[in-house]
Amino acid sequence: MTTTLHALRRRLTLAGGHAASLTAIAVDGRRDEATYRPATLIDAPLRHIAVGAPLAWPGDVGFLDGTQHVDLVGYVGTQPVVSAVVRAAVRLRIDRRLRSAITMVRRVVVARAEAIAALGALPDGVEPIAIDEDDPHPLRDLQHARGMVDRTRSRLEVAAARAFRARNRERWLIIDGGISATPEWGADPWVLGVVKSHAMLPFAGEELAIYLALPRGHRTSIFMPASRRVTPLYSWALRLHDFTGHDLFHGLVRIEAPATDETIARADRLSQHLLAEVAPLSNDARADRLLYGIHDVERYLNALGR
Amino acid sequence: MAEILGRVVATELKPSTPHQFHFWTTPAAPCGIGAIVRVDHDGRTVFGVVTDAMAYADLARPLDAVIGADGDPSRVGDEPTERPEIRLWTAAVLRQLPEEPMQPVPFGAVMLATDADVRIALRMDAFMHANGGTGVPVGLYAAGGLSAPVLLDSDFLLGPEAAHLNISGVSGLATKTSAVTFMLRSIFETFAPAKGTVAAICFNVKGPDLCFLDQAATLSSDDLAMWHRLGLHPGPATDFTLYAPYKPDGVNLNTLRSHPALTANVRPLIWGLREILDFAEVVLNRDDVDAKADALIDFLAERVVGKKYQAAELRDAPFTVESFADLDEFFRAIFDFLETQRGADVWRTHHVATIRKVRNRLGNIATRSKGLVTDDATASDLPWGTFRDRSTTVIDVAGVDPLAQDLVFARVISRLREHLERRDLGVDHIIVFVDELNKYAPADGPDTYVKRMLLDLSERGRYLGLVLFSAQQFRSQVMRRVTGNAGTSLYGRMDSDELAMPGYAVLSPAIKAKLASLPKGELMVRHPHFTQPVFVRFPRPASLSGREGVERFPPVADLPFADAVMQRLRELDPSVAAEAVRAALDGRPEAEVRRALSATTQRRPEDPFAFFRALLRRTIAVLPVEPRRGIAPLSHDDSDPFAPY
Repeated sequence: MTTTLHALRRRLTLAGGHAASLTAIAVDGRRDEATYRPATLIDAPLRHIAVGAPLAWPGDVGFLDGTQHVDLVGYVGTQPVVSAVVRAAVRLRIDRRLRSAITMVRRVVVARAEAIAALGALPDGVEPIAIDEDDPHPLRDLQHARGMVDRTRSRLEVAAARAFRARNRERWLIIDGGISATPEWGADPWVLGVVKSHAMLPFAGEELAIYLALPRGHRTSIFMPASRRVTPLYSWALRLHDFTGHDLFHGLVRIEAPATDETIARADRLSQHLLAEVAPLSNDARADRLLYGIHDVERYLNALGR
Repeated sequence: MAEILGRVVATELKPSTPHQFHFWTTPAAPCGIGAIVRVDHDGRTVFGVVTDAMAYADLARPLDAVIGADGDPSRVGDEPTERPEIRLWTAAVLRQLPEEPMQPVPFGAVMLATDADVRIALRMDAFMHANGGTGVPVGLYAAGGLSAPVLLDSDFLLGPEAAHLNISGVSGLATKTSAVTFMLRSIFETFAPAKGTVAAICFNVKGPDLCFLDQAATLSSDDLAMWHRLGLHPGPATDFTLYAPYKPDGVNLNTLRSHPALTANVRPLIWGLREILDFAEVVLNRDDVDAKADALIDFLAERVVGKKYQAAELRDAPFTVESFADLDEFFRAIFDFLETQRGADVWRTHHVATIRKVRNRLGNIATRSKGLVTDDATASDLPWGTFRDRSTTVIDVAGVDPLAQDLVFARVISRLREHLERRDLGVDHIIVFVDELNKYAPADGPDTYVKRMLLDLSERGRYLGLVLFSAQQFRSQVMRRVTGNAGTSLYGRMDSDELAMPGYAVLSPAIKAKLASLPKGELMVRHPHFTQPVFVRFPRPASLSGREGVERFPPVADLPFADAVMQRLRELDPSVAAEAVRAALDGRPEAEVRRALSATTQRRPEDPFAFFRALLRRTIAVLPVEPRRGIAPLSHDDSDPFAPY
């Protein structure tokens, strides 16, 4: 991407724009606003359920994740021009070894249409995405651009999962994050989402106290998250690591699965399989919640460069 | 096209340079320390040799492994995902093509070197051509199921470009003796006739090491395959002679090659006064040889020994000093003369104290080197002037006094040098193999004659065709200038303490670790054409080792004097009758018999016994003495106290 970014900056300069950079953009991930979204309990009351000993997945398992690298190219007038490389991949684990099953990439330039037009012909393989919001504002446009890159990545992840499913009918696919991006996932009995972020909490008050006091190796009762109305899903929290002496969220993940009776029936077994994934430990600051398989995909995508 | 083994990788912290690069492989890749690899990229080819290796996983800290396994090491294998593991190799550049401009190694695919690659990587293409060349096989390079002969350039092994070979390694692991034995065979078989003739003189300094080089060993099929892969024919030394001094009894040879079946090419090595006087400095310690003693020794060598020396003040008849006994007689005459001159203590400018000192020291030689140095004038020496092409001569000094060993080294090497300077040795190149170099040319210790001579050999020998093949356990304990002049160095298994010495600082820790655990028959080679050390395997030599030799041909016990004489004569003529020999020896002084035997074995006449008997002094029959006739004595009367008788 460095070459592409350089080419874009050159075009921008030739178009009379001002080359610029904003390092922070590249490392910013999605930010969820800290809030409560009360969920609906499926098997009330909310309680801690011991799931049993960790149990390895019986067969091959795929792990899906996506990455985005965003750079501010500069400004055409006052309009920011953002460049991004978005990737998604599925790494399939066979005989304890992970290998690439699906890899996808998109390179995009996000800016207002006039700014894109001012750049002229884009470098090969770079797609334009126009910001069509009203009231141009340099900072707000940057936020719009980042949101559009987010969505681009989400769509690429969906495409990668689709490609994986086309070749692997009955293989588990573990997705980093929620699975509400597409109804396809909500209807796929071989898909699980592992959410590490707890900005949006499903309970408040005493229930939240129960929710966050989940011991290691336990799950909560199943609930339906409020934010997943379009694609109905079932969810439950699972404590992967003991949080004693750590933060309340240490080792806490929220699992998302299709809203089916089958999910309710096998929630314990799926939790056991996920508990087995705590080893090996990821080489990452979020190792308490980041499954090694997901970490591997992320590292693989980062190794592909920008 | 060879299979891709790995790929060059470079980071800011581990960049590719013109002399070094890094590459990664899978853990199962058939790569190892010492492997030669090839990198191809955009018309540039780089050859390198692996010098270091690392393996690591994606763990940030060891503690993460503990936490991941819940503190239970046995659970590590139960993890659903195996951590990815990297094998990261470091290689030193052997050669780049094109050689100019010299650039950092490109990020290309890495392959194991093939036969042809090894030739190019080690620059063997410079001296190996379709119609021959100057290559001398030193061993097989092997990696990943491939093997390729590695050759040394004889111009850099035997001169004139560079010369000398030095071998280091701990004892007993087929490093030194086996490697030299193999190398001699390899040189004799491949040294281009156009480059001249070559022979070898090996000093056997311990046990039976080199005593059976002419006896064929049984080789395994693997060894045979290696011989053939190197293009060599396995076989023992074909033109072999062993020289050994006598034991102090003067008739039994001081060697472990004394089995009757093997004595046909064993010769005695005997020197007289004339042979060693020029090397008196060797046997006199440094303090002894002051200017005065030196002057007296020179005087003896130039004016007295081997000449008719007239000194009227000593006696009327001229002195004929041919042996130590004659020399002692000469000295006694001087002392007698000085005693008659009241108060005189100088004879012909030489002080009596100096004369006494030189007399004592020279007299000691015959005592301490008895068996090598005779007290008479007979000598049995190496075939100066008639050394044969591709011949091997072993001088067995294992059983003699260290002083005598020094004497042998000094004289043999000095004579070799003299003959080579005159080009009348019989061969154009002579390889001198000296084991235990740390004993004869130590890094520290006194400045001895032998040490200076070895230094001179290593520094100037190559111009003459005098090539030093030397070996020692600890290279660091050998005079640096001697080892430094060796164009080619071989290293077998090394002691860890030795590898910690500064001389090995250029080797990577991995190379050192490999050297410290090198299996039998493997060597690390440094040669002027190779920009980096290379590991090779060499086959077992096709001749018996010393241990095998003494097992198959056990040495015989020392024979009584008469039996030993008989055996020596029978080696020349098996039909010599025992009774005839006993009769000839009956009543003879042993010194006389030894002299006659020595002359016989040296001359090798058609009828050895007749020759031997003729050299013994004629027997004079004992005649009874009859009382003289004359006037009868006067009668004797004991009772007469006044009687005159």
